[in-house]
Amino acid sequence: MNSLTHEEAYVELAAVSLDALPADLSAAVREHAAICPECGPELSVMEETVAQLGLLVPQRAMNLGHGAGIRSRLIMRARGERESRSAAAPGPPDIARGVASLSGLGHRLTPGTQRAVDAEVKKALPPQKRQRTVFSRSNVMAMAASVAFVILAIQLMRVTSDRNAMRDEIASRSATPVIHDTVKSPTFAPTSEKEALVKAMAGPDVKIVPLSTSRATRMGRMFWNRESNDWTMVVYTMPPPKPGKTYQVWRVTKDKKISAGTFQPDASGHAFMQAKYQLDRNALKAVAITEEPMGGMPSPTGQIVVSGAATP
Amino acid sequence: MNPSEQELSYSREVRSNAEDVALIRRMCDADETALGALYDRWARSLYSLVFHLLKDPDEAEDVVEETFWQAWRKASSYEPSRGAVSTWLLTIGRRRALDRLRAKSRRKEESTHSGVLADIASPASDPLQMVESSERRSNVLTALRELPDEQREVLELGYFQGLSQSEIADTTGQPLGTVKTRMRLAMQKLREPLSMYREGAQ
Repeated sequence: MNSLTHEEAYVELAAVSLDALPADLSAAVREHAAICPECGPELSVMEETVAQLGLLVPQRAMNLGHGAGIRSRLIMRARGERESRSAAAPGPPDIARGVASLSGLGHRLTPGTQRAVDAEVKKALPPQKRQRTVFSRSNVMAMAASVAFVILAIQLMRVTSDRNAMRDEIASRSATPVIHDTVKSPTFAPTSEKEALVKAMAGPDVKIVPLSTSRATRMGRMFWNRESNDWTMVVYTMPPPKPGKTYQVWRVTKDKKISAGTFQPDASGHAFMQAKYQLDRNALKAVAITEEPMGGMPSPTGQIVVSGAATP
Repeated sequence: MNPSEQELSYSREVRSNAEDVALIRRMCDADETALGALYDRWARSLYSLVFHLLKDPDEAEDVVEETFWQAWRKASSYEPSRGAVSTWLLTIGRRRALDRLRAKSRRKEESTHSGVLADIASPASDPLQMVESSERRSNVLTALRELPDEQREVLELGYFQGLSQSEIADTTGQPLGTVKTRMRLAMQKLREPLSMYREGAQ
């Protein structure tokens, strides 16, 4: 769009502050405002004024568990980014070793990671709950439950997937589970693992598919990094599958249901899976989890337990 | 509100934003605990706003996460002189919510702005922040209510419904030029009663 005159830009400042203009016109106004001594301050004042309106909406509380999970995930991502920026620091970071425990080998959290998790748990809980835990056994139990949740939320949980079945399934579809590469490659240092995890779940080209039951209960998320072809799934509060059964994850395209592997949630209902699989960036229609015979099936046979639509 | 009450509210606002600014500075120094603290202070307000726009708790949670992540990544671009931290966060979150809303072309026909004005719930779990936010909301609400109906309508459709100027014109049946004028006048009238919050940011 051509540059606007001062008069043309000035009359649109209110609309720009409300984001009520087409993107190109809004950009042109902002371009003018950035260099105009009158429009620039005027737009700032209007934006500040408009933003006050945001406080008027009815206040809603986020689901406590989801809110704590988001908080923990943010902090872990931020910590990961900070540590990757200072990668020259000596010694392997504990967090990185913690992430390595996601490799599916059932490693326990390192003491350092456990401390980090504990710290996150304390921060994630409301202050009054933290105080009550000192005095109340029931709150100690609540804290323990929260520990379990936050461990999930920051993706520091043990993988309990039946790896052999997953390897066969995914290998047959040219997918390479990161969980094996992570362990086998001697050059894959812990810091790189941590960075890889952060990159897999963050970044501009990550599509997030919320996973829910048919009753719209949020059960987890699939993170698909379309640039790196990393698939990272986190679920929580999954009930154990029926005896002899396992959960199987499917990438649903227009004409195919592609297995992403099988998994068993841990005692808390948590599970974490990672794999690499190349898929056309617009092909994914949904992600689904079905209950299948142990070892998984080439195509889904059980009912969908959890699913999520991949919005364009 | 009498002058002494207004002064008290102002001083609380200044203190509150000063604390937010201090957290942003720590975030610039890569202190992720400051991000957690900022989240504790503003996640609920942000979630409320984006939920109001998106009507979907899952999407609203995603936007909250994206917004705080952007705040972490762009903390150094925050300029205190341009507004309060809360304003910055709410603006980022609202834009992201509108992007999603517009991408899906999900327009809600019903007008809920009267509900917005009527329903103001307790804002936060922290008592002091609750008091501060409650006073601030009350002031904003009063300022909005004092606008002429037709001016308040375009603001509410634009802000709370995420409609563009053209869509507001279609919805209200008014010429686009009239909508522009009403929007501009509404903004000019809101500026003065809400100026304390701008000054408080500095």
